[in-house]
Amino acid sequence: MKRRTFLSAAAGLSVSFLAGCALPVIPRRPAPSAAGAHAWIRHHEGRYALYLPRVEMGQNIATAMKQVACAELGAAWDRVNVILPATSDIGPVRATVGSESVRDFAVPLAQACATLRDALAAGRTEGHIDARPYPLEALRAFRADAGAAAGPPALVQGEAIVRGEALYVADVRRPGMVFGRVLRAPASPELAARPLGYDAAAARAEPGFVALVRDPLLRQGRSEGVGIVARTPGALDRIESALAVRWHVDGGFTQATIDAALDLAPRLARGALAKTVRRGCIDRAARWDVDLAIDVPLAAHGAIEPRAAVAEFGSDGRLQLWVGSQDVFYQRDVMARRLGLENDRIVVTGCRVGGAFGGKTICTVELEAAVLARAAARPVKVQWTRAQEFRFGFHRPPSRHRLRARLEDGRLSQWWHAFSSSHILFTNAVVPPWLQHVTDLIGDDGVARGAALPYRAAAQRTEFDLVRLPVLTGPWRGLGAGPNALAIESAIDECARAANADAVAFRIAQIEEPRLARVLQCAAAAAGWGHKPAPAADRRVGRGVACGTYKGTSHAAVVADVEVDASGRLRVTRLVCAHDCGRVINPDQVRAQCEGNLVWGLGMVIADALPVASSRVAADSFADAPIPRIGDVPPMEILLVDAGDAPSGAGETAIVAAAGAIANAVRDATGHRPTRFPVAAGDLRTLPA
Amino acid sequence: MLLNVNGVVAEIPRAWQEESLLSVLREHLGLVGTKYGCGVGVCGACTVHVGGEARRSCLTPVAACAGAPVVTIEGLAGPGGALHPVQAAWLAEAVPQCGYCQAGQIMSTVALLRRNPAPDDAAIDAALAGNLCRCGTHQRIRRAVRRAAGERP
Ligand code: FES
Ligand code: FES
Repeated sequence: MKRRTFLSAAAGLSVSFLAGCALPVIPRRPAPSAAGAHAWIRHHEGRYALYLPRVEMGQNIATAMKQVACAELGAAWDRVNVILPATSDIGPVRATVGSESVRDFAVPLAQACATLRDALAAGRTEGHIDARPYPLEALRAFRADAGAAAGPPALVQGEAIVRGEALYVADVRRPGMVFGRVLRAPASPELAARPLGYDAAAARAEPGFVALVRDPLLRQGRSEGVGIVARTPGALDRIESALAVRWHVDGGFTQATIDAALDLAPRLARGALAKTVRRGCIDRAARWDVDLAIDVPLAAHGAIEPRAAVAEFGSDGRLQLWVGSQDVFYQRDVMARRLGLENDRIVVTGCRVGGAFGGKTICTVELEAAVLARAAARPVKVQWTRAQEFRFGFHRPPSRHRLRARLEDGRLSQWWHAFSSSHILFTNAVVPPWLQHVTDLIGDDGVARGAALPYRAAAQRTEFDLVRLPVLTGPWRGLGAGPNALAIESAIDECARAANADAVAFRIAQIEEPRLARVLQCAAAAAGWGHKPAPAADRRVGRGVACGTYKGTSHAAVVADVEVDASGRLRVTRLVCAHDCGRVINPDQVRAQCEGNLVWGLGMVIADALPVASSRVAADSFADAPIPRIGDVPPMEILLVDAGDAPSGAGETAIVAAAGAIANAVRDATGHRPTRFPVAAGDLRTLPA
Repeated sequence: MLLNVNGVVAEIPRAWQEESLLSVLREHLGLVGTKYGCGVGVCGACTVHVGGEARRSCLTPVAACAGAPVVTIEGLAGPGGALHPVQAAWLAEAVPQCGYCQAGQIMSTVALLRRNPAPDDAAIDAALAGNLCRCGTHQRIRRAVRRAAGERP
């Protein structure tokens, strides 16, 4: 059993969890197993090693978890060393997604640390003990004053980042390593594509050529791949040109194909949509006070780090793989299955991830690297080009929303939100079409996330259709919550106008959840909601508000100020955000997550969209798929509300309020309700073009 | 050819002379602090100094750098490894989230402060417009630049 190997290998004291004790550390995938829970915290000669059971991708969870460990162990900051583990170091843990790390992992970590602390105090220094399920009140790490005295701790790996040390997967260099790339037809992997021919002799003649690799495992979706391996990264470009692969692609599509597939009118004309979130009875025939259509397009994650992997086979056939993935154990399991290796012949090391946002949850470049390394019998590094990121990565699905509301005595009485979108959790980047017929019976909680109205209305109907699109779609920061909340908060804003009510007061009167009402009040007060920004002669100014709850446990409200000039140029001038994710371990880094989400909300309104043409995502660089630049980002104020509730997620919460607040501010400034995103200057122009 | 990087002169073998400066730095010299983000000059992750000027190393052929000293993020620290004031300001403001863009942000900032020791926000925004950050660290970047310039963050 692995645990024994571990014990014999290390003289020191470690703590792990017994499978079956009532702690939420048992992963949903892979299945729980007794051998699965290896030590996260280990003690050796007065020092501690924290094997981080989460992936570090910029949420600075390493810092928060180290704070928990230090507080619970009573250890000085420099006594605890954080290690980003390999699959051989700890038992399987599930993917780092959905802002769950503090909520689900910090408490078990604190319990493990408390167990270790008490054992050391009792004089025990060797061996292995199982973590005891201390109740929350008994844990020191979650007391209100836990970290207050020390001030914000230094970021784990912060100094290594500013010094440019090797941290990310593409920074891994192995002796004899070469560079790989998998070429594919310039078409969405949803279309069957194969090479018709290529000039292998010309490719081989290029300096730096190492190998040309044909392997059925290089297929992504329905797109066959041709692998090339070279001695230098630049040689890959030259070999790719020399090879000049000619492709056959089955079928084709354009943006119009996607527009038609998502069109809500014919779907609603046929009757109810396939999935319901709220199934109240509404009167479809009577006149609606608000009737709004909102279109949110396909959008990229745009992480600055393109996907990458390094693979190396030992002479004994063992595979070492370095990944920048949100799910390190999943990578191992995929390798085992696809390459026919036993789990214990694969070691996957998770590196710090250079931004993921839901995009680095599946296996793509990792398998490419492993297949090329096996064929070339050398360690191989593959990093996708930016163009490959857009073409072969998956994206936020587009969605079309129709929102209708009826008011009675200035209050919501009937609410009807219908939308169409594509798959997120059951992404078409992994799920083949035949299996999608099965998953569609279940639905897709990712698409539905954030779709339930957080306000009281006597009758509510929220329903949606899932449509498999010819472009790859999947998880994107907040899943469906960002677009759904943008649509809902736009419509609620129109409801407040129709009721002739103040946008904040209208919401507060009808919000179901008191914590949501509290953050809204808090943001409104901090922004000086009652005092609108001063009008200006040469531009229109406006202010908007929005709020929302993420995954039922975290709450945010945002007030946005904007300016729009006569040419339609939109500038967001201030964002104020109040945020409640329960007990906060590291206020500064929760603020950082809020700032990130505000910038993402800004991006949803001013930038996020991917062009589709010629049967593919037609973006090759950030020039075709822009993200907000520093000049677009206004001053941001973040207020954290911590009333001692159980800790919940901060990584995706504020996105549910940011875009809506900005859109509502645009409406306030210009009288134009943004219905298509990103907002086009042409829609806000008062001057002739 | 010879390449002077961070004050050390290295012989660049023939097989690497057709490469970009970025590829040589990362894969031949092992200076991996400089990042690949786009390869076409639009993200700034690969920013280094060539002859004292900020340059996109992904677009700069290594052959074009034979006569000009190159400084990368690894070469900013002073004697004994003391952090450069810009690096120190970055830590004081806890700027990095994922951190992938930050070497480029820091290199662009060092070049900015050399040209303009007291930049206002407009100058900061203009100098860093070509350095993308998807994590949304922009507000902290502005603060860190002001701090490094000796102003109130
Ligand atoms: S990698 Fe050079 S600018 Fe993006
Ligand atoms: S810190 Fe992640 S891209 Fe800037």
